[in-house]
Amino acid sequence: MRTLTKTWLAALAAAILLSAPTAPVEAGDMKDASEIVNRTNTAQYYAAKDGRALVRMKIVDSKGRSQRRQFAVLRRDKKDGGDQNYLVVFDQPADVRNTAFLVKKHATKDDDRWLYLPGLDLVKRIAASDERTSFVGTHFFYEDISGRHPAEDKHELLETTDTEYVVKSTPKSSKGVEFAHYTLQINKKTFLPSKIEYVNAQGKIYRRIETVKVDTVQGQPTITRLKVSDLESGGYTLSDVSNVQYDLGIPDDIFVEGSLRNPPQKWLR
Amino acid sequence: MKRKILDFPLQHARLVFVGLAVLTIGLGSAIPWIQIDTDPETMLSEDDPARVFHNETKEEFALHDLIVVGIVNESEPEGVFNPESLGRIHELNEQVKSIDGVIARDVLGPSTMDNIEQAGPGTIRFEWLMEEPPKTPEEALAIKEAALRLPMLRGTVVSDDGKSVALYVPIESKDESHRISEEIEAIVAGFPANSDEFYITGLPVAEDTFGVEMFKQMAIAAPLAALVILLLMWWFFRSFSLVLSPMIVAMTTVTITMGALIASGFTVHIMSSMIPIFLMPIAVVDSVHLLSEFVDIYPKHRDRKAAIREVIGHLFAPMLYTSLTSAAGFLSLMLTPIPPVRVFGAFVALGIGLAFVLTILFVPAYIAALPEKRLAALLSSKRDESDGGFVGRVVEAMGAKSLRYAKPILVLTVAIIAISGYGITQININDNPVRWFKPSHKIRVADDVLNRELAGTYMAFLVMKQDVDAEREIVAAGDAALEGAGDDMRSRWETLKAEARTASEAGDTTVVDALIEATSDLSFDTTGEESEQWQGIQTALEEAQTRTKTFQNPEHLAYVERLQREAEALPLVGKTSSIADVVKTVYRELMSGEDKDFRLPATTEGVAQTLLQFQSSHRPNDLWHLVSPDYRESAVWMQLKSGDNQDMVAVKTDVEAFLAENPPPEGLRAEWAGLTYINVVWQDEMVGGMLESLMGAFVIVFLMMMILFRSPVYGVLAMVPLTITIVFTYGLIGLLGKDYDMPVAVLSSLTLGLSVDFAIHFLERARAIQAETGDWKETMALMFQEPGRAITRNAIVIAIGFLPLLGSPLVPYNTVGFLMAAIMAVSSIVTVMLLPAIMTNIQNWLSTKKQRVAESADIAPAPLGTNKEQTT
Repeated sequence: MRTLTKTWLAALAAAILLSAPTAPVEAGDMKDASEIVNRTNTAQYYAAKDGRALVRMKIVDSKGRSQRRQFAVLRRDKKDGGDQNYLVVFDQPADVRNTAFLVKKHATKDDDRWLYLPGLDLVKRIAASDERTSFVGTHFFYEDISGRHPAEDKHELLETTDTEYVVKSTPKSSKGVEFAHYTLQINKKTFLPSKIEYVNAQGKIYRRIETVKVDTVQGQPTITRLKVSDLESGGYTLSDVSNVQYDLGIPDDIFVEGSLRNPPQKWLR
Repeated sequence: MKRKILDFPLQHARLVFVGLAVLTIGLGSAIPWIQIDTDPETMLSEDDPARVFHNETKEEFALHDLIVVGIVNESEPEGVFNPESLGRIHELNEQVKSIDGVIARDVLGPSTMDNIEQAGPGTIRFEWLMEEPPKTPEEALAIKEAALRLPMLRGTVVSDDGKSVALYVPIESKDESHRISEEIEAIVAGFPANSDEFYITGLPVAEDTFGVEMFKQMAIAAPLAALVILLLMWWFFRSFSLVLSPMIVAMTTVTITMGALIASGFTVHIMSSMIPIFLMPIAVVDSVHLLSEFVDIYPKHRDRKAAIREVIGHLFAPMLYTSLTSAAGFLSLMLTPIPPVRVFGAFVALGIGLAFVLTILFVPAYIAALPEKRLAALLSSKRDESDGGFVGRVVEAMGAKSLRYAKPILVLTVAIIAISGYGITQININDNPVRWFKPSHKIRVADDVLNRELAGTYMAFLVMKQDVDAEREIVAAGDAALEGAGDDMRSRWETLKAEARTASEAGDTTVVDALIEATSDLSFDTTGEESEQWQGIQTALEEAQTRTKTFQNPEHLAYVERLQREAEALPLVGKTSSIADVVKTVYRELMSGEDKDFRLPATTEGVAQTLLQFQSSHRPNDLWHLVSPDYRESAVWMQLKSGDNQDMVAVKTDVEAFLAENPPPEGLRAEWAGLTYINVVWQDEMVGGMLESLMGAFVIVFLMMMILFRSPVYGVLAMVPLTITIVFTYGLIGLLGKDYDMPVAVLSSLTLGLSVDFAIHFLERARAIQAETGDWKETMALMFQEPGRAITRNAIVIAIGFLPLLGSPLVPYNTVGFLMAAIMAVSSIVTVMLLPAIMTNIQNWLSTKKQRVAESADIAPAPLGTNKEQTT
């Protein structure tokens, strides 16, 4: 199950593109933590049927030195909460332009991931490993972007405030994870997380992901600015999402290996 | 005036005691606030360019001081690559991370490093090398095989032979390393015993542990030396009450000086920790002269005050001048460019002055205040030895010989000087903080084992950087891209540039990053043609930035690679690491995983994309230990198997020759950093500085001697013992092959101070006696009585008194102990044997001089205590 979440790409696109299905305001507070987390997963990673966005990430280290990453993302869902496809094409920095990732995220088995490096004219499959590696040098992990599969953790509803659910999630297996648990603050209306804090074995919060800005695009609440902070080193990464469009009718047949070398410009622009 | 000073302690003994007690307690109370500083870095002043650059480099590449923990297993066939040993290494790694002061995220070891490898055809995988300890021997071997394939790990984390493992523990502050190393030892001690051996070393541990041991030595060695001196004096003077007074002088001098040093806010460095050891003999010497003479004279007078007056009358001037010359020797250390040495010189000089004042004031007051019966006891026991005891007989016999064999002695001296001169040319200038411990010390043992097993535990960094102004080039590219744009955009562009400069001055970002961000924002925020134009400008800026990424350029990386090969050819360089190694490793795994692809990609883009893959690992930030995020600076890590300064110098010389013969491309510049290198820099300054200060002191002392004796001949004579002692001591060091290191360098000033001391006493007394007797033969015979005994007693007291230092576990203390004994022996022998031999041979010269002095003394008293004055 763990491998489901492997799709960091998916995560990425999902985190960025997807908006939560608009929550029924009249509904009473939810009581089941797992249900809340499942809902959040769909809200954050499966908005609409497909989508496109431009993402800019700014990586800042503890000395204030910054680097930049900019890429376009295309996504198409097969089923909410289930399989999805992603295509990510880099634009900046110029020396990695046209580097591309293709991800086929599966609900029931390891994701399929491919990588294209134009500078080496190389297409390579990426084997499944744990998800908590850096996403192209940013402070995001692949898993932050693709979404950690809800079934990997035990969820406990700590608190329900006027606006938020607070859920504590503890991993069922400590293999491949560096945290002891994490806490999610989830917006009751949008089901988007407003803050996630990771706690290590010593009980210290060492990492934080914050939703800085949410915009509604085509009726879908969408996170347009996300910040992840490494509290130990003092570095952080800021992710800005723009040009978001949903339900473009992106066809499934662009999510193939061939698109890595020849990205479908029609859908990327 | 002198009379007044001399009478003061006799009349106001109580005032002297109270004053001394107040001073000692007052300043001594500062001692608990002691701040120890064993960081050799502070041998360089804070604004020293090498130190500044070293710290900039540490900051730029996020380099921390490292504790090296090595795990070796000699009995298992696969070394530590068995499930049990790796299990412990994993456990240790986890526990080390939670030690306070350890930078957990940067700990290097099999459990915290990534493996990059092929996972089936056309597939690449990044995963932890050892996320969990292996369960079977096969799994253990698989970890070894994987690690040996990674150049960043091979030789560093895993030994080349695949038997041993090392963890590198980065720490926040060097002065925590002793505590942290003890905590690591405690973790290891908690493991059940088996054949795994754990070793801890690294320069920071050595330096910090030295500080801890040094502290103990100050509390043990110096008082122990004092005790031995006390016992020896007791043996010589047979009166415990009497010899207590030089001890009180020495102890209060040390206490007040150290108190003053600490109260003035100076840290106690390795140098200043030796102040007590240096001051002790100097403080005792004057008192021994005084007591020695008092004990000889007192029986004649039977009036202690009269005896004291006579003794002080004889000795005031020589003691004053010996103190001045000794102080001058140490003050000359102020000429060196090394702050701790300057502090050391200044406070030893202060202590010498203090010791003189205390000798003149306290010892007479003390003797005056002694109960009568103590002195009576002294009188009777001393009487039986009117011949001066054993020492007296030996000195007398030696004196007789030295006069009879004057010529052979001179010849022998010349021969010794010649041999010593050769020895000096053999001197090996070298230092290494790890060698400050004896070979049996656990740090030395760990150092030996780990530098045999691994590529080297001593780090030096060669930082290469591009001096071209990247910012201007990139902004110019933006200007060029604006060609054909409308006025609106142009003025907007100018505004952006101004804003970018402001933001960069505020420290938020760089001009280039700010411009790229701003143009990127504009291309996002505008639409249609304008958006495209801003996008175009942004692209132009980014492309210019790509060009300025020096260390993504394969040509530059190839140069770094060549330089590494050159350095690795040196026997002492176990390994070098650079960004080129990272690129080649990732490239190999991206392509085929085979050795043929262990090379650099052909294009800048190829390099950039390879590095983007590396950054998709668990430890993307490891890259920034090798290159700056703008790729304009890179650090080549050199692991040396030896921390000897001369070995570092050899590496530096060789690499610099390579750089000179093979100029780096496009104005790349190379500079050194790292603790191993810093040690070389201060050593250079120290050796040069010491030579300069020794020369300076030599000239000053020579001038003082000529003025003091009002005679160039006596001036030259006074310089003979110290010159020969220095030449002999350093010749001996050269011949024995003992490295000329920090303590040896500093001892030169002590040699100067103490050797001239004996010469002054000897010459002054000789001249006085000769004036009385008018005959050189008789003078020399008398010289081997009381004055010769005083000098010899002094030499023996100090030489033997410092032998306990040989028992210290710290080599610099041993060196001081040994050299102190050698200096005392040589300078006293030279004074007592060679000076008479020379004087006998040039007595006509001396006589005519003497007569001239005597004549002038009738008009104005000679500066030294003359016979006339003594007898009044």
